[in-house]
Amino acid sequence: MDKTIKLIGRKVVGGKVCGEALVSKVPVTFVGGADPITGILTEVGHPLQGCSLAGKILVYPTGKGSTGSSYRIYDMAMRKTGPIAFLQIKAEPVATIGAIMAGMPVVDSLEPNPIETIETGDFLEVDADAGTVLVTKKK
Amino acid sequence: MKLTDKEKRMLNGEMGFPVQKGMQIMAALGESFGAEKMLEVNNVHMPGASIVVAGEAGTRFVEEMYDKGGRFCAFTTTNPGAIDIDNWRELGIDEEDAKMQMRLTSAYEKMGAVICGTCTPYFLGNVPRKGEHVAWGESSAIAFVNSVLGARTNREGGPSALAAALTGRVPAYGFHLDENRRGKILVKVESKINGATEYGTLGYYVGSRTKQDIPVFEGIPQNASIDELKSLGAALASSGAVALFHVVGVTPEAHTLEEAFGGNKPELELKFGLKEKEDTVELLTKSKSSDVDWVILGCPHTSIREFHDIAKSLRGRKIHSGVEFWVCTALPVKAMAERMGYVEEIVNAGGKVVCDTCPVLLPARKLAQKKNLNSVTTNSAKMAFLIQGQHGLLSRYGNLEQIVEAAVKGMWR
Repeated sequence: MDKTIKLIGRKVVGGKVCGEALVSKVPVTFVGGADPITGILTEVGHPLQGCSLAGKILVYPTGKGSTGSSYRIYDMAMRKTGPIAFLQIKAEPVATIGAIMAGMPVVDSLEPNPIETIETGDFLEVDADAGTVLVTKKK
Repeated sequence: MKLTDKEKRMLNGEMGFPVQKGMQIMAALGESFGAEKMLEVNNVHMPGASIVVAGEAGTRFVEEMYDKGGRFCAFTTTNPGAIDIDNWRELGIDEEDAKMQMRLTSAYEKMGAVICGTCTPYFLGNVPRKGEHVAWGESSAIAFVNSVLGARTNREGGPSALAAALTGRVPAYGFHLDENRRGKILVKVESKINGATEYGTLGYYVGSRTKQDIPVFEGIPQNASIDELKSLGAALASSGAVALFHVVGVTPEAHTLEEAFGGNKPELELKFGLKEKEDTVELLTKSKSSDVDWVILGCPHTSIREFHDIAKSLRGRKIHSGVEFWVCTALPVKAMAERMGYVEEIVNAGGKVVCDTCPVLLPARKLAQKKNLNSVTTNSAKMAFLIQGQHGLLSRYGNLEQIVEAAVKGMWR
């Protein structure tokens, strides 16, 4: 049996999605931080620099920086080079607006702390409407 | 959320598709952040005005709003686009990029926006009053209106600023409410800071530690200038998501430390001394080579006062032949700088004055390849940070004197 953990939080943007987690312990910006064509995280010195965001469920504290990130998130979603859901410690408007445009689920205020509980590569089942995340550890 | 009868009519489509779409975005956003009602706004600053951030999807969305009859009911100014509208060929921008940018700019213009193409609309008269509810995008301008002017805005992205312009509404949450404008983090500034660049260094250091929280600065000189505060806010909003800061004795909601915290106890205390300052400067210089090839001033856009200082620092000097030297600004400020002879001095020294855009928001990677530029040298913490992740150009960071010295020699230090 795979080990699963259930996290409970708050719906920010509704929807259901499954996929692989990509975890950042520090904030992420999309303008100045991600290439919309390749989906690669580009912020110099960022722990996830060089990682692909495409098709991943991004687990991170919050957004930062440019307000251009809303359209950038939407554009990447349309190109299928961006993440498919956000799990945040505390939601922030710029990324939320991008997610509303793209129809991407967002959950925040999860317990236990998603950044400590989830590791990159874990399989996640996100039900944003219910505010729940089911984590299957990769190992 | 409680909507008025008019807002309900907006939402059910009685006022047309663009207003309905706008109200849907605002209602969803309000629900996400627990807003109880909408607030009326009549002042929008529109981010997402460059194709570099809007992309094809965003550009199509804005065009669709215009095509389906969308017209702005709120006064709206625009952020920089991807081209200097009058001089894009001279800058080396490709025709296909210029054409796509004109599609986006034209859609905003036809819906009623003032195409000022600047991140500093407050330098040309878009100056909301204290306590006014507005819907502003552009992270540096948000920090400025909230903190320095005392107006009230959340961090609006392109789609929500567009929705606010179409509906004249924003959800009542976040920085619109008194209780969310109080300080959370105390920053003791123990090092002497002087000049816009050092304020940017301070902002970058603090922003990377505060995330969305409101910092309160103690120990900043009481004579801090508008340009210094502009630089502080821009950097805070680059390394962090800071939308509001207080400077005790300087900004309008912080006459005293007690007022700035409004009864809150600081959740965190930070110290900014000489070591923090030096470490941050080092962090913002990523380029290892000493060849200076692209110098960028004007992030956020150059004010008339900064024009004076730049022109003065170039007097009697010649920029090295291999160096592209850009001063980015807004069109009306350039007109004033022309009258004062500053533009002529900059151009005679070998520099360029660029309007309506900035290197972060234009296709800089392509331009750099075409002109064989490998790095960016700048006096702005925001530019030094963003140009790397956005366009893959490594940065060098210093104050105006150091930057001009490097531009003249073509060498860093």
